[in-house]
Amino acid sequence: MADERQAPSAPRANVKMVIDGQACEFPAGLTILEACQRVGSKVPFFCWHPGLSAPAVCRQCLVEIKGFPKPVPSCYTPVADRMEVVTGSPKVLDVRRQMLEFTLLNHPIDCPICDKAGECMLQKHYFDWDARVARNDGGKVRKAKVVDVGRHIVLDQERCILCSRCIRVCNEVARQPDLVMAFRGDRQLLTTAPGQRLDNPYSLNTVDVCPVGALTAKDFRFSMRAWELWATPSVCPGCATGCNIEIHASRNLIRRLVPRLNSAVNKYWMCDDGRLTYKHVADNRLAAPTVAGAPARWDAALAEAARLLGQARDKSPATLGMVLSAQMINEDLFAFSRLATECLRTDRVYLAGSPEGWCDNILVSADKNPNTTGAKLIGGPTLRTAADLQRDIEGRVVTALLLVGEPDALGPLESLQTLVAVSSHQNPPVAAAQVALPLAMWAEVDGSFTNRQGKVQRLYSAIAPAGQARPGWETAVRLARALGAAWTYGEAKQVFGDVCAKVTLMSRADWGKPEMPVQLRFANSRG
Amino acid sequence: MAKIILDRLAQQFVAGEILETGSQHGNEWARVAPAHWRAVAQFLRDDPVTALNMFIDLTCVDRLGRTPRFDVVLHLYSVDNKHRVRLLAGVPEEDPSIDSVVSLWPGANWFEREAFDLYGVRFAGHPDLRRILMYPEFVGHPLRKDFPKEGRQPLLRRLPGSVD
Amino acid sequence: MDDPSQTARRVVIGFGDAANLPEADDLPTESMPLNMGPSHPAMHGTVRMVLEVEGEKIRSVDVQIGYLHRCFEKEAENATWTQIFPYTDRLNYVSPMLNNVGYALAVEKLLDIDKKIPERAQFIRVIVGEISRITDHLTCLAASAMELAAFTVFFYLMKAREWLWELLEELSGARLTHSYVRIGGVVADLTDDFCPKLRDILRRCRASIADADKMLTSNRIFRDRMDGIGIITRDDALGWGLTGPVGRSTGLAYDVRKDHPYLVYDRFDFDVPVGSKGDNFDRYAVRLEEMRQSMRILEQAMELLPAGPVLIDDARVALPPKREVYNTIESMIAHFKLIMDGIVVPPGEIYSFTEGGNGELGFYIVSNGTGQPWKCRVRPPCFANLAVLNKLLPRLFIADLVPTFGMINMIGGECDR
Repeated sequence: MADERQAPSAPRANVKMVIDGQACEFPAGLTILEACQRVGSKVPFFCWHPGLSAPAVCRQCLVEIKGFPKPVPSCYTPVADRMEVVTGSPKVLDVRRQMLEFTLLNHPIDCPICDKAGECMLQKHYFDWDARVARNDGGKVRKAKVVDVGRHIVLDQERCILCSRCIRVCNEVARQPDLVMAFRGDRQLLTTAPGQRLDNPYSLNTVDVCPVGALTAKDFRFSMRAWELWATPSVCPGCATGCNIEIHASRNLIRRLVPRLNSAVNKYWMCDDGRLTYKHVADNRLAAPTVAGAPARWDAALAEAARLLGQARDKSPATLGMVLSAQMINEDLFAFSRLATECLRTDRVYLAGSPEGWCDNILVSADKNPNTTGAKLIGGPTLRTAADLQRDIEGRVVTALLLVGEPDALGPLESLQTLVAVSSHQNPPVAAAQVALPLAMWAEVDGSFTNRQGKVQRLYSAIAPAGQARPGWETAVRLARALGAAWTYGEAKQVFGDVCAKVTLMSRADWGKPEMPVQLRFANSRG
Repeated sequence: MAKIILDRLAQQFVAGEILETGSQHGNEWARVAPAHWRAVAQFLRDDPVTALNMFIDLTCVDRLGRTPRFDVVLHLYSVDNKHRVRLLAGVPEEDPSIDSVVSLWPGANWFEREAFDLYGVRFAGHPDLRRILMYPEFVGHPLRKDFPKEGRQPLLRRLPGSVD
Repeated sequence: MDDPSQTARRVVIGFGDAANLPEADDLPTESMPLNMGPSHPAMHGTVRMVLEVEGEKIRSVDVQIGYLHRCFEKEAENATWTQIFPYTDRLNYVSPMLNNVGYALAVEKLLDIDKKIPERAQFIRVIVGEISRITDHLTCLAASAMELAAFTVFFYLMKAREWLWELLEELSGARLTHSYVRIGGVVADLTDDFCPKLRDILRRCRASIADADKMLTSNRIFRDRMDGIGIITRDDALGWGLTGPVGRSTGLAYDVRKDHPYLVYDRFDFDVPVGSKGDNFDRYAVRLEEMRQSMRILEQAMELLPAGPVLIDDARVALPPKREVYNTIESMIAHFKLIMDGIVVPPGEIYSFTEGGNGELGFYIVSNGTGQPWKCRVRPPCFANLAVLNKLLPRLFIADLVPTFGMINMIGGECDR
């Protein structure tokens, strides 16, 4: 769980100490909590987070150190030589119970209606460490229950256990101090800073780090119980940063995206825009192949597409173009590039994609396509741009087009004589196409993206492709076969192998082991 | 409780034959190398000190993710000495087979057939190794961890008018 | 050619010796396959016997089970520990409390709380367990008697069984599928008038059983059909793993309640009937006497029944009372986690065994530290007991098959799971 600390530039001596009777050694500067985690001694905590500063406010992580008069917060105290830490003595267990009792004292009995139920750290720690009956018989302190604090977030002040993780996310990650604590004692509550709303572009990370259900996402609220979700690792398609995510899906629909730790790319965070890209997967999908606008069967549509493309190629390959999208996975890009060179015998391959957008120097790239790097590496130096395409169409240089992916803002395509689209959504170009073949999207396939740092990151399939959609490389293989080539790709891994063989900068990329979706139930509460 | 059994095993067999022993929650258990399965079982039955002459149970555990994948588990009891033992043998996924103990205890017949039916472990020397709980045309071994809980089997006939 | 009627007069149905008369073997016969199919009035629990018969004599048999296989183990691997109780009810469905108790004991041992179950809960478990044992034996004897055309016995014993099930229905809400036991105790205390009602029922049951005894035990027809048929030896019992009334009828004096006492069985004074010949009649007599002994245990248990809680007071194992759940966050959380995640059982394995209606009912449970078992195997006593039919039936007559099979008391739910 702990972030791997990078070795500081000046070498520091290791610290030798004892945890629960076990002698061990750690680099100086580590906190006791992280040290305990490394040796497997379980210590509960609420306010500590490996990606944020440690204020030691919740006091749940108290451990005993031999020779110290009082228990110390292990998340804050650094390791020291000859320290002897005890994490399971009767005193420590009692202190832990007491802290939990305090935390639970005014906590509302909201579990049946709280979204966090099932992945709540308070539930987890109470069950693991306390399990005693309540002692307070009187009423609980009442606070505001449904406070709209921002664009995406609803706050329930009663559930808040005042750990301040959300405040630190806003301060340290988003660098926009939107949240503050107000008042003191049992009346202390979380609220927005005077005149502010919680509207920074990383606000939904506060929902992830909140140990309880105080901060909930408007998007996910009341939509699905946590234990019914199946988690699959993947990569966000929102921009070229390629934040590592987990897709949480159930009953073949994606319900939400959450970030996954990657110290080199996104650490523990992702932006709000990226989180909401999952909606696009279910929206307005092209579910079945169409020929001349009418639904058709796959084999008929493929035959027609091959016929049209073959015709255009035989007439004059120089007028045949292919448009690829920087939103496609490496495997699809490679397969279609190969199709262009080998079967269509054209070098007019254009790269389109989403237009540029806002960026910051935290996580968000201006390039809103997840795989521009991959597309450029695979397409090679002869890859042309969307502007070139515009010009070539207007100048009637290109009269036949194979449009792959889902590019935005391409300009009018009606003047083309032949238009075959392999697309995931029912956009206008698809309606104008003579043949449209449905394309499976990033969340539905096994594949890879190459992010702006040049890292090749794996996507795993979380849900089945919509309708009759198939992965792009598979469609390319079938088109190639229909056009006379005899390709033998049977699975994405084989295409990936060829990609790494061809592109030097991706030659050391690894396909990795198969990952099965994990049900969030029994996978221990997140947080 | 029945430490004497583990002691006798340690006296009679070497480390390569009895891989590990232990006692947990009052159950004594011994992990046996699969090549010596029958020999160890026979010794435990015939040795006057252990006298584990009553066959109790034979089953299989699918420890998916571990190599070897399957564990064949045999429980034996001694009515005279009133002690019992659990024997385990690791059987690999690629070649899931082990000796049958039917010649030692005829009651193992059906239990081994069940382990074969539900896990796919073959018992060498079994007189009649066929499925027992599933019908003969069933495909797969249902208690394996990678066998889905829901699915369709080839012989299920769709009645006219059924939805799926 | 021999006169068939001559031969028929000299072959007496029922005595095993007569089946070996040389005349019987000389008859010109061919073996005929006969299917006593899964759907058959005498094949209770749905079992199929593919017989090869020569005339009336069985040459070979293939006992085929699996018709009631409902994937207990696979379901158990996908359910929380508490959700498995309804599945255990449906194992040996004529003695469901015994299955509940056996499973609960196994999980409690893994949790290391088996010594902390409240005493009253242990007594209650014994009481309902013994009632279930009586219902199991009543069902077996009643059905077997009916198959030998003793309909009156069937009705008498079924009526007795119904009194017991009515009582358990008052207690748990269902005649058969009680799901009354929980990890850590039982779900609710006995009803207020449980003990007086039980005493009255036992008095009436004694009378019914005495009637059945009078009608069967010295009945010439019954004895002819049961004596000397289906003899199992003590060595057979060891080799085939036969326990319970079937095993004890051979002279093998093994009863888990006596040899490895669990719950509070060591506080009761009761005998374990053991047969001598191992034939059908011995199995009948053992069951009859076991019912009387179970009633002895019940009377003593009701005398000694202490007051106290019926469920362990540990929020990590047992659901807190509803009043607490709705009014305190701690109990709400405990309730929530117990239902959604299940009781967290530390990793480990155990084989826990109790005396079921048919013999040693074992639960081999493997836990991987979560709220669901990794493996939850039932060692079904009648699976082993039924297997011995493959050895017993050849050389018996078809008519002998019926009482032999009946006295094995194969319960489909337990055998096939």
